[in-house]
Amino acid sequence: MNTKPKRLRTFYLSLFFVILYIPVLSVILYSFNQSPSTAQWTGFTLDWYKELFNDRVIAEVFKISIVVAFLTSILSAILGTAAAIVALHVTKGMEKKINTVMILPLLIPEVALGVSLLLFFSALKLPFGYLTLVLSHSLFCVPYVYIMVQLRLKEIDISIIEAAKDLGAGTGQIIKTIILPLVMPSILTASLLAIAISLDDVVISTYMAGPTSTTLPVHIFSMMRVGVTPKINALCTLILVGTFFIVGLSQLISKTRKQKEEF
Amino acid sequence: MFNLKKIKQNAPAVPIFVWTGLLVGIPLIYVVVLSFLSRDNLGNVVFEFTLENYKRIFDPVYLKVFYNSFLLAALTGLITLFIGYPVAYFTANLEPKRRSLAMGLIILPFWISSLLRIYGWIILLGNKGLINNLLLKFNIIKEPLIMMYNFGTTLVGTAYMLIPFMIIALFNSVDKLDRSLLEASYDLGASKWKTFFNITLPLTMPGIAGGFILVFIPSLGLFFISDLLGGGKNVFLGNLINAQVTKGRNKPLAAAFSVGMIVLVLIVLYIYNRITKDKKEGLFL
Repeated sequence: MNTKPKRLRTFYLSLFFVILYIPVLSVILYSFNQSPSTAQWTGFTLDWYKELFNDRVIAEVFKISIVVAFLTSILSAILGTAAAIVALHVTKGMEKKINTVMILPLLIPEVALGVSLLLFFSALKLPFGYLTLVLSHSLFCVPYVYIMVQLRLKEIDISIIEAAKDLGAGTGQIIKTIILPLVMPSILTASLLAIAISLDDVVISTYMAGPTSTTLPVHIFSMMRVGVTPKINALCTLILVGTFFIVGLSQLISKTRKQKEEF
Repeated sequence: MFNLKKIKQNAPAVPIFVWTGLLVGIPLIYVVVLSFLSRDNLGNVVFEFTLENYKRIFDPVYLKVFYNSFLLAALTGLITLFIGYPVAYFTANLEPKRRSLAMGLIILPFWISSLLRIYGWIILLGNKGLINNLLLKFNIIKEPLIMMYNFGTTLVGTAYMLIPFMIIALFNSVDKLDRSLLEASYDLGASKWKTFFNITLPLTMPGIAGGFILVFIPSLGLFFISDLLGGGKNVFLGNLINAQVTKGRNKPLAAAFSVGMIVLVLIVLYIYNRITKDKKEGLFL
């Protein structure tokens, strides 16, 4: 390629990434602004972060969100992995059906899914709160675990499993000693993704939250509807730092996995 | 004839169908049933068959809501396609190191809170926002521009939120492209544009269709974007369903609108399947 199209390419991509990240960076920037309005920059401060740490409501909903995210990630890791292993075992036709069924929750717009769950759970008289939150979050986290674990399972050399079978290993033993150790890094990465997805969900949580158990995004959403305050900026910035910590962790896991494979 | 061996092999799949059946199948059936029921003055559901809820969809006021939502979703698909195609195409042609950096930057927004990303646009576009401040400071404008709370702002927010999906779908398609076909086309004297429209574009069609689906479906239901950026001036299906359930307490009507939304998705999925029927690489189904 000659230089002119190359320059156009660099220009277009740079412009795109600048626009992609400017809204995020401006949220971070204004979390340090002394003035409560974005109209002017009056100086650097950490006051909004201090105010955040004194907010009892935020501390409470944060705790709920974290618990929900962890339970969701554990439940989706178990169900998603189990489904991926089952898909490996069944006939080709059945595998295709499982693929469709697993991806189904992602094909329905979130509002429709949320409303249908709300109406259904209230008909069953289930108490809204942790139970409904974890169940509904798992519903759309399981597909991600399933896809990621399935991709890894397909990489496994089938002859290893055949060899184990020939040597007399049972299904349970094969899963425990061969399959699970090999897919563990994918399960961990997928669980971290599930935590991030659960911590970010607004739409379904709006319907699934109980009277005393709102999640953090639902609370932030109601704060944002009232108006712009740097406190929201500070809160969003902290969440960003938290998720990037999770991303870093998952990168580390996949890196060590690659290093291990080189040996 | 029952094949006992096959049944035994497929038996472990049963719990998967039970899980999805319980949390997706039965709730959806319940919603369909509910959409044909009426309600009393207190908002309680009454077991009395009616088509009233569906008749109301064809009320011009509500028809407009369907039109708004369809327009928003379709325009979001088109905008993300036009902006995203060059991004995917250029990224696929980058040298390996820069390519993984670019891919990282495209995927990273998935990890950033969606509320934060929308809130960023309020900070940028608000009457006292960053863009207005800069324009006022450099005397380009005298009065702050009013950029918030209209259809356009909602469109910008929705496209911004969903463009990574489009780019990834396009990237996978562009990346698989057989370069020798392009070279052959050039060798035979075709111009750059001709090669693009006759070879690159048709071959990346599955990626375009897949990306469109990945963007179209979620954009129907992201009510928080139109709430925060659209200011409730334009009502979309997501907002309407949300309002009927949380404030209006008209569950049967909300159910009927949900069914309408799902039918809209099914129509789009059907078209998608028709387009990608003869090509092997469909995204799903």
